[in-house]
Amino acid sequence: MTISEPFEDVWRREVPHVLGALVRRYGDFAACEDAVQEALLAASEQWQPGAGPDSPRGWLLRVASRRLIDAHRSERARTARELRAAVRDRVDTEHAPAADHELPGSAAEIALGAGTAGDDRPGGTGSPGHDPETLHLLLLCAHPALTPTAQAALTLRAVGGLTTDQIAAAFLVPSATMGQRISRAKATLAAAGARFAAPTASDLPDRLTAVGQVLYLIFNEGYTTSAGERLMDVALASEAIRLTRELRALVPDHAETAGLLALMLLTQSRAATRVDAAGDLVPLEHQDRARWDHTMITEATSILEVVLPHATVGPYQLQAAIAAVHAEASTWADTDWLQIVILYRMLDGIAPGPTVRLNLAVAVGMAHGPAAGLEVLEPLREDPALRRGHRIHAVRAHLLEMVGDRGPAREEYLTAARMSTSVPEQRYLNARAERLT
Amino acid sequence: MKYVILIHSNPQPWGHPTGDFIAENQTLPSAERERLNAEFEAVLTEMQESGELVTAEALGDPSTSRLFRWNAGNPVVTDGPYSEFKEHLAGFFLIDVADQARAEEITSKFSGPGETVELRPAMWPGGDDQ
Repeated sequence: MTISEPFEDVWRREVPHVLGALVRRYGDFAACEDAVQEALLAASEQWQPGAGPDSPRGWLLRVASRRLIDAHRSERARTARELRAAVRDRVDTEHAPAADHELPGSAAEIALGAGTAGDDRPGGTGSPGHDPETLHLLLLCAHPALTPTAQAALTLRAVGGLTTDQIAAAFLVPSATMGQRISRAKATLAAAGARFAAPTASDLPDRLTAVGQVLYLIFNEGYTTSAGERLMDVALASEAIRLTRELRALVPDHAETAGLLALMLLTQSRAATRVDAAGDLVPLEHQDRARWDHTMITEATSILEVVLPHATVGPYQLQAAIAAVHAEASTWADTDWLQIVILYRMLDGIAPGPTVRLNLAVAVGMAHGPAAGLEVLEPLREDPALRRGHRIHAVRAHLLEMVGDRGPAREEYLTAARMSTSVPEQRYLNARAERLT
Repeated sequence: MKYVILIHSNPQPWGHPTGDFIAENQTLPSAERERLNAEFEAVLTEMQESGELVTAEALGDPSTSRLFRWNAGNPVVTDGPYSEFKEHLAGFFLIDVADQARAEEITSKFSGPGETVELRPAMWPGGDDQ
């Protein structure tokens, strides 16, 4: 700005940029607007006439962001207080004069201290996250009495600091519906409160598994719906990665948390290439690998290099290892499919399930030819869980097409398309069928 | 996962709740009718409290509908009803539940004599890239 330019002109010019940047980053238009207004107020008080900052936009953005984060933090603190109060009230009423009953938070600290060393950061440094309080909240939100969607909503609200409106928008339901889920979740926690003692060192691993599932659900919700034509206020996938990072900092020795973070990073590294300009899904096979996010890939592979040799291998680590093999290949055809077959067999050993078998069939088809893949697939065709879904038909269609059975492949594509409830997937499958007529 | 529950019914006269205006339902023993109503009310309350119920509407008499058809480049409007069948769409519920099994469990509670209840998955904008 020139020295003599009036504030008003500067504001009028800068405000849309500042507000736009904030809304893009934080969602929640109303809160962003409030924060910008506060930044303008601060500017009117602090900027000397004729001598504003060199970059008014940067200044406004910084101040507004700070206000916004403060607001989020106090919202988050409020929710955390409500949750603790809900649990404590219940404990108090049911165990009335039991004087030795500690608040859940402190025991989580003990459990954490027993499980991990090294985080000797003093409490109350003002940084959200790296404190036992956050771990306790994550564990609380993943309480087994809650349904998975309630766990996810509560985690985003209490630990992520998102508003009910933002969570509702991200899950594509009305705010009232989401508000209902969150208050039901709080009531359920209160009712289960007496049984929810803080984790002991021995049950911490199981509780962490539950937290991992919640974070992965949030991630998948974000990743798989990001193909939609609508603009999401909140990037759930990024939020899940952020929360998993926080969790990992809290329990650095927990290998599956590290594996989960690596898996999320490797999946998210493909985000920019999974939808084309027309909004259609681009399968892994046809993605432009040069545009994958290599910073994320590098971070994930270095996590895996540390974790894999030293820990009992778990499902997230194996899935991340599979994703890493894909990330290393310069093309779909160059993929080390033998390696992927081995990893899926290991995964089938520790976490067997029809979906793992289905993925194994794809890998076998690529490593040993489509006929071998179809052979692995054959016994799965009667699986009750798979039969109602589109995926087995889509995989079979691909393998049949590779073999050259065009007619049956077309039929399977059409069946898969009928069964799919995903708009872009259905379009893709119908297009594949069309090519075979 | 989102589903719609569609109530296809022929209440005489048209009215809601449709079961009250259906002969097969009216002839049930009153204890049985009360049991069915209580079950339905219970699942509705449960869905409201759990946040599984997204929205619901009861629809007006099918003869009050207006039908817009295309003819020679212009919409041509006539009076309803649209369907030539005896049963008409009487109302819908949009639910968001964990899985198909839960959706079917809920829908079974909507079922009653003389009506057809249809459970249909809603499409979603996302998808997997694997």
